[in-house]
Amino acid sequence: MTNTKKATCHGSCSTPGVAGIWLDEHVLVEAAKKVRSAGFKKTEAISPFPIHGIDEALGISRSMIPWVTFIFGLLGFSFGLWFTWWTSSVDWPVRISGKPMWSIPAFVPIMFECTILFGALSSVGALLFLTRMPRLNPPIIDPDLTSHKFALFIPEDDVQFDGAKIEQLFKQLGAVEVKRVEF
Amino acid sequence: MVAQTPSTGSGVLVTSSRLKTTYSVAIFLGLIILIASVMRNSERAWYSYLISFFYVVSLALGGLFFTAIQHVTKAGWSVNVRRVAEALTSFLPYAVVGALVLFIGGPKLYEWFHPSEMAKDPLLLHKSGYLNPTFFAIRLLLFFGLWLWFSKVMVGRSLAQDKTGDESLTHKQVGTAIGFLFSFAFSYSFFSVDTLMSLEPHWFSTIFGVYCFAGLFQSTMAFMILTILYLKKKGKLVGYVNENHLHDLGKFMFAFTVFWAYIAFSQYMLIWYANMPEETFFYLPRLSPGWVCVSIALLLFKFIVPFLALLPRWAKRTPAHLAVISVLILIMQYVDIYWLSYPKLNGEKAIFGLPEVGGILFFGGLFLYAVSRFFSMNSVVAERDPRVHESMHHHVI
Repeated sequence: MTNTKKATCHGSCSTPGVAGIWLDEHVLVEAAKKVRSAGFKKTEAISPFPIHGIDEALGISRSMIPWVTFIFGLLGFSFGLWFTWWTSSVDWPVRISGKPMWSIPAFVPIMFECTILFGALSSVGALLFLTRMPRLNPPIIDPDLTSHKFALFIPEDDVQFDGAKIEQLFKQLGAVEVKRVEF
Repeated sequence: MVAQTPSTGSGVLVTSSRLKTTYSVAIFLGLIILIASVMRNSERAWYSYLISFFYVVSLALGGLFFTAIQHVTKAGWSVNVRRVAEALTSFLPYAVVGALVLFIGGPKLYEWFHPSEMAKDPLLLHKSGYLNPTFFAIRLLLFFGLWLWFSKVMVGRSLAQDKTGDESLTHKQVGTAIGFLFSFAFSYSFFSVDTLMSLEPHWFSTIFGVYCFAGLFQSTMAFMILTILYLKKKGKLVGYVNENHLHDLGKFMFAFTVFWAYIAFSQYMLIWYANMPEETFFYLPRLSPGWVCVSIALLLFKFIVPFLALLPRWAKRTPAHLAVISVLILIMQYVDIYWLSYPKLNGEKAIFGLPEVGGILFFGGLFLYAVSRFFSMNSVVAERDPRVHESMHHHVI
């Protein structure tokens, strides 16, 4: 997968393939199920809004972003713990209201905020990385896909890719338009 | 999404005679233990009575609160689990009697029931305008009257809709629910201050009501999840409630686990930081060797363990896993209320024995009896709510 991606990644990072466009998201979900049972593994669905059941229909597994959030959250927590210890009791110890130098209750808010900050920023970062966003010249299958149309896209590096057959399959499944595009 | 035939999942759930016997034995046994304890060491028996009473009143109000927020937000997803929340409110009529009995125990529980004690202490004398038996009785009657009235109206409309299918009832709920939420914010805060915080009449914490509310909602979610799982095991709610509903209730439970910890820490940190004797004396016995284990157990099992155990998505969608965490949270809610009140009774060490078991048996049995009686008379689902189909097809992305 990585090899083929890299091979076609000349500036635009897009893969050629076949896209079908639907006008109804329920028909799209049914079409996605059929496409999946036909054996395609890398099908992408493009929709202006989240569609219930599309992940199951395409067999898309869970994103790894929650793990990134969790691990970076833990890192942030540990950083807050270490940083408050280092600043308040190692680098510049100042005794405040007779409390111990390293008074954890006072630093819990900092540890908490670091957890949130690291978790949130890493989640956004992971999202951008995994979706390869933002791109200077994003591939556009159809400008209406951000308002009222829905699309399925099968890249040419998918197993048993056959452009003509896929075009026919999409039409059978109710696509109003089928075209060869890069995405 | 295949629409399942809903006919099997709705309707009443008749309580088995074995369960009825269990509840009766628990109530009877609990009552005997409580009465015997009142005779032997009456102060401790009343403490046991108070915390078990507070526990079940909170669960019943949690059900009413959950119902109200669903009406205010006009939520569709929760319609098929709403009846479970409504069932919890069926304890409120018993709670009114419980509150009257609590008043009898007042002199054993609260210093401020004795004007002579109050007169000795200028600080308490200043509080006697609020903390006195008459005003306490008025407040109890007012609060329980309000709660009972709101529960009769909101749950009553829901049950009436089962028969008539009248959609206008759903619209009427919104205004009532707003009224309830507004009055609940005040009444439950004052109720927790009156019954638990005033055990230490010198001590005050403005966040106390919120602290109790956090535990109320967390434990209500746990109880609702367990009830739903039980009903499903009995073949009810099939086709009405799926793992997506559990997922959302699990998210609520997770959120309020975090909220509880947030509030508990907010209270602790400000008092620890300011370090003023009039506030810190609340924490001193709780951090002493005899009690520190309970305090650590609260941090560990009311926050850290449920937090980590409810964090992954699968955890909130796996019934067995969710059930274990719900039981843990329900136990820790008791420990929490215990921790709020018992150090006043015995600051040396945490005590637990027969008097406490008696309170748990009595109120636990009574509460479960009220809830199962509700289900044996009313459908487990609000079948004819206009949003029932929306809820049937609830799906979390």
